[in-house]
Amino acid sequence: MKAFAFEYDLKMDMNPVEGQLIFSEDGMVRAVENGAEVFAFDAKTLKEAKVHAGVGCGLIFAEYENAPDKVLCRFSMSGLKMAGEFCKIVNFYKLTGKPAFPDEVEKRVCEKCGRAMVAEIRVCVFCYDQFSVIKRALSFLRPYAKTITISQILNSISVIGFLIPPIIMRVLIDRHLDEGIGTWGQIMIFAGALLLSRVISNGLEIFAGRRYNRATISVFDDMRTATYQKVQSHSMTLFAKRTPGDLIRRVMDDTDTIGEFLNDIGRWVLEMILMFTIASVILFFTNWQLALLVLVPVPIVSFLMWSVQKVLRARFERQWRKSSRVNTILHDIIKGIRTVKSFGNEKREIAKFSKANHDLASISSQNETLWGILFPPMSFLVSVGEFLILFVGGWMVLNGTISLGVMVQFTMFLWAIYDPLRWLVNVPRWLANTTTSMVKVFELLDDESEITEVASPNNVPIKGKVDYKNVYFGYKSYEPVLKGVSLEIQPGEMIGLVGKSGVGKSTLINLAMRLYDPNNGKITINEADLRNISPDHLHENMGVVFQDSFLFAGSFYENISYGKHGATYEEVIAAAKAANAHDFITQSSDGYNTLIGEGGQSLSGGERQRLSIARAVIKNPDILILDEATSSLDVETEASIQESLTRITKGRTTIAIAHRLSTLKNADRLVVLDKNGVAEVGTHAELLKKKGIYYGLVMAQRQSSRKEGQETA
Amino acid sequence: MESIKDQMDLGIMDIKQAEFYATDGGFVGLKYKGEDYKHVVLRRIMPSKQPFNYISVADIENKEIAILKAVDDLPEGQKNVVLTELDNRYYSPEILDVISVQDKLGYVYMEMRLKNKKGIEYKKNCAIKDVSRNIRMTSDNSIIVFDVDGNRYIGSDLKKLSRQSMRKLDAYLF
Repeated sequence: MKAFAFEYDLKMDMNPVEGQLIFSEDGMVRAVENGAEVFAFDAKTLKEAKVHAGVGCGLIFAEYENAPDKVLCRFSMSGLKMAGEFCKIVNFYKLTGKPAFPDEVEKRVCEKCGRAMVAEIRVCVFCYDQFSVIKRALSFLRPYAKTITISQILNSISVIGFLIPPIIMRVLIDRHLDEGIGTWGQIMIFAGALLLSRVISNGLEIFAGRRYNRATISVFDDMRTATYQKVQSHSMTLFAKRTPGDLIRRVMDDTDTIGEFLNDIGRWVLEMILMFTIASVILFFTNWQLALLVLVPVPIVSFLMWSVQKVLRARFERQWRKSSRVNTILHDIIKGIRTVKSFGNEKREIAKFSKANHDLASISSQNETLWGILFPPMSFLVSVGEFLILFVGGWMVLNGTISLGVMVQFTMFLWAIYDPLRWLVNVPRWLANTTTSMVKVFELLDDESEITEVASPNNVPIKGKVDYKNVYFGYKSYEPVLKGVSLEIQPGEMIGLVGKSGVGKSTLINLAMRLYDPNNGKITINEADLRNISPDHLHENMGVVFQDSFLFAGSFYENISYGKHGATYEEVIAAAKAANAHDFITQSSDGYNTLIGEGGQSLSGGERQRLSIARAVIKNPDILILDEATSSLDVETEASIQESLTRITKGRTTIAIAHRLSTLKNADRLVVLDKNGVAEVGTHAELLKKKGIYYGLVMAQRQSSRKEGQETA
Repeated sequence: MESIKDQMDLGIMDIKQAEFYATDGGFVGLKYKGEDYKHVVLRRIMPSKQPFNYISVADIENKEIAILKAVDDLPEGQKNVVLTELDNRYYSPEILDVISVQDKLGYVYMEMRLKNKKGIEYKKNCAIKDVSRNIRMTSDNSIIVFDVDGNRYIGSDLKKLSRQSMRKLDAYLF
């Protein structure tokens, strides 16, 4: 028998428990704790299953028609989302009599290690395969594989070139200088060879580096563009589950980290490994006893560097956070300086900043001291190899075991051993940082939009009837906003949506714009299901004005034409005139080419809103949506905008929400929503006569306006 | 000039007219000024500073009925009902030990030994995002930790934590 089990972790007395609330396809709800059934009942007996979120915990309770509410189970916040899913399933069964189970339930616990998984990350951060992530990142290199391979081969040749001089020195000393049989000409030949090897190596390094950097910058560019495209093409759910800061960090910082890794580190990894390996092999073949001495400090130094780094990283991270706190305080205070001064709180703010700054100074000083203590011994340890070569090598030269040239070669090769080592010891940390960024970028790229486009969209003309058919929707699965809303809007009709905040007015229009899809039920336009219409086609044919419409940092012309790609000058002017924006635009110094600054901050609220209206109507949409389009304006400005709106809405299907009910009194029909859905429908006069919810809202507003009027008088 | 609080009706509950009771369904009900509210919601107005004073009592539609000024003012039986409900609504186990802290993919994974208000001890793994915001010092000696799911854990006296625990936490306290 099919069933859906919600796992809860708290008993009724809030002690930990392993419990399950199970809904099975026979319609029964059962609670099982530690293997024993606690209760069972038929889901049809309840009115609704609901989630109540507390602080750090929540509960599922049953609401009955004629009996008090009953707690079914309690859980810590980790269970909140699944609790909502459980209630949705039970309520759907209650409503339709049919059990429906989700195909796949999001895994919350890692199957491998059993650790709880972070909702925003698909992989278990402890078990994810670092190499598969790197492999995927490398797939971005594919289009540039040829360039990268050639540049790495050239780079490798240049490494070999850098390793030739010590060998030349050995031969020169042993065969020509040590025994005093060399000639001036021979010295010139050796010096020339040395210079040539340097020149070739440096030349190759510069050439290969340029080619490599060009390729990796293109990879970085591709990756950033791909993530940005994903953000743009995703549905609004992405913005609900991720903050703007998080998305910006992924698109900018994480791709930057990957780019830096590829550019700065990826290039040198092969070179460093090659240098270390070739130098070690040459030294071992020259004299293995002395080579072992060179390598003696390697494991000790590597281990110490790794351990010290771990300590330092934690301490510097703390310093970074303290510094971030100082910046936040400073940013806050400077931004809100008017408030600080007007409340006379300067001293309090100085004290707050001083404390944060003092804390930062203290941790910075501690870290510098620690670094000062740790660094010299580390450097000393690295130089132990040099000391050993000098001491033992010198002794061997005197002994006649090795030649002077061999000893010089060993001394010259020390950098080829220790430099890569110093560098390579950092690689795990760099790799860890980069894979973190890679996982975040790939997560974003893999995030599937909940608004999907069907293979063959039914792109009917966006006009005619808009029909909400038994629509259920909630931004959070445990908090449904719309419950079975049905509403038919006729072609050319103006509908005013009215109701208290939180009843779902904006949600209704968000669904009409297909920013979200209903959880249940459907919306049709011109008899076509909105799910079968491509979002692009829909948005191209709809005009929207929000309460705080965002204007871009550009000219009036650019902002209005944003509504229609390739709009003509006449269309822009016509739209501005329709929105009563033309006059103030032409009065500006540069007319339509006047720059309005970021967010249109240089404009008044009324001017900004007129521009938004012009932007919405430039494409002459058949459906117009006005979401509190005039709510932030004063009555006088609203009246002037209202005039343009009356002209614009004529003959178009319009759905409008307005806080001021007087704004909507000319609507063909007013739809009053309450928490249970559509409560009243009718014209302004009909609803007033009815003396229901709308009447109450109008009276309350009149009373408050009267009070305001009296107070002003 | 009289204080603002004298000008406003705070809606402080007249406890002589109030009777809190536990319902069979596991909720709290309230009989107040002739009304019987079968399911009320209790919210701490100042949870960290005044956890047992200033409790907002609202009906199921979230409309505030009144503010209970002090839980201690209630008769013993009613007081227990209110305290139990507050314990059930505010779930924040106490941190006894920090067993391990690991930074992974920008999240801090913490394994802790916790104790709930009934004194039951247990271990828990949790992930914390943006530690600068979600590990907060509430005073010089106490912290509150929020995990990615919205669970919260309290360290009410950091001096009571072992030296090993403090060493693990140290990098995140500021």
